[in-house]
Amino acid sequence: MDDEPDDARLEEELRELAARLEPVPDRLVQAALDAYAWRTIDAELAELAELAFDSLADQDEAALVRGHQQERLLSFRASGLTIEVEVTAAGPARRMIGQLVPPQRAEVEIRHQDGVVTIATDEFGRFVADRMPAGPVSLRLGPVPGEGRSAVVTEWIPI
Amino acid sequence: MTTDPERSRRAGDLVTAAARGDDAAWKALVEQFSGLIWSVTRAYRLGSADAADVFQVTWLRLAEHIGRLDHPEHVGAWLATTARREAMRASRASARVVLTDDDAVFDAQEAGGETPEQAVLRSERADQLWRAFRTLPARCQLLLRLLMATPPPSYTEVAAALDRPVGSIGPTRARCLRLLREKLA
Repeated sequence: MDDEPDDARLEEELRELAARLEPVPDRLVQAALDAYAWRTIDAELAELAELAFDSLADQDEAALVRGHQQERLLSFRASGLTIEVEVTAAGPARRMIGQLVPPQRAEVEIRHQDGVVTIATDEFGRFVADRMPAGPVSLRLGPVPGEGRSAVVTEWIPI
Repeated sequence: MTTDPERSRRAGDLVTAAARGDDAAWKALVEQFSGLIWSVTRAYRLGSADAADVFQVTWLRLAEHIGRLDHPEHVGAWLATTARREAMRASRASARVVLTDDDAVFDAQEAGGETPEQAVLRSERADQLWRAFRTLPARCQLLLRLLMATPPPSYTEVAAALDRPVGSIGPTRARCLRLLREKLA
């Protein structure tokens, strides 16, 4: 009923045009293939910490008035653990200042497109990562068997 | 169009296989859905850096969720929804994104030397078609740009990319294609 032959032909012509004008860049197809390697082996055991707050997307007018546009606040939430991260840009590089709540010592793996950076938090649960490349990142914390906490991975997010 | 149930079953099988560690299944998913995700970044007119981020984050999210999807057979709609949300985040975050004034982008590309785009558009019909497309109302460009993905997406996937009811896709498509035909006449 809504699929007249003329419509189908015109849509196909548009599709061919889009494929020639705006093809998916090859390097991005490769990045999509490479993304599979980030599938964590303990994926079913690791708890996924969801992005609960992103100042860029969620900030209200009051925050805009306060106006610290240069720093971005992210908050990832898992059961019994919150990871707060402040991201600042310095040219193409990113600086991440993090805080685990409740505070605890842990090894934080920052996964990014070129590899993994591992940082130990201090006794207050704080960590700093300088010169991170812009682009997608995800944080991972190993399991704490003594406290019965499983590994935690955050959603990927571009910074 | 291929029927939705058939496509969904195949996509669901690929997700299940990829979750078990089957590289070839992941590759098949990338081949099936990269065009759809890319079309979301084009439809929402993201700049190239934001488009690359949205595209990559969408695939990384799937890698993380591959063993956790409640409905593996709906992976196409899941990807479209994820890409849409990330595109919205990027467009809220970036002053570079202009959702209504597409001509600026077009003109900027025309200002430099000959781009691949211009090479394509030297064909009169292609040029005419693209210009006509660019003068369609924003909501028509948004819908058609998604439908223009290779391979063709299902209406369910397009609806997910738009956050609109599936039933609205067919009628809107018919109206937008009729408008486009009028502009070409």
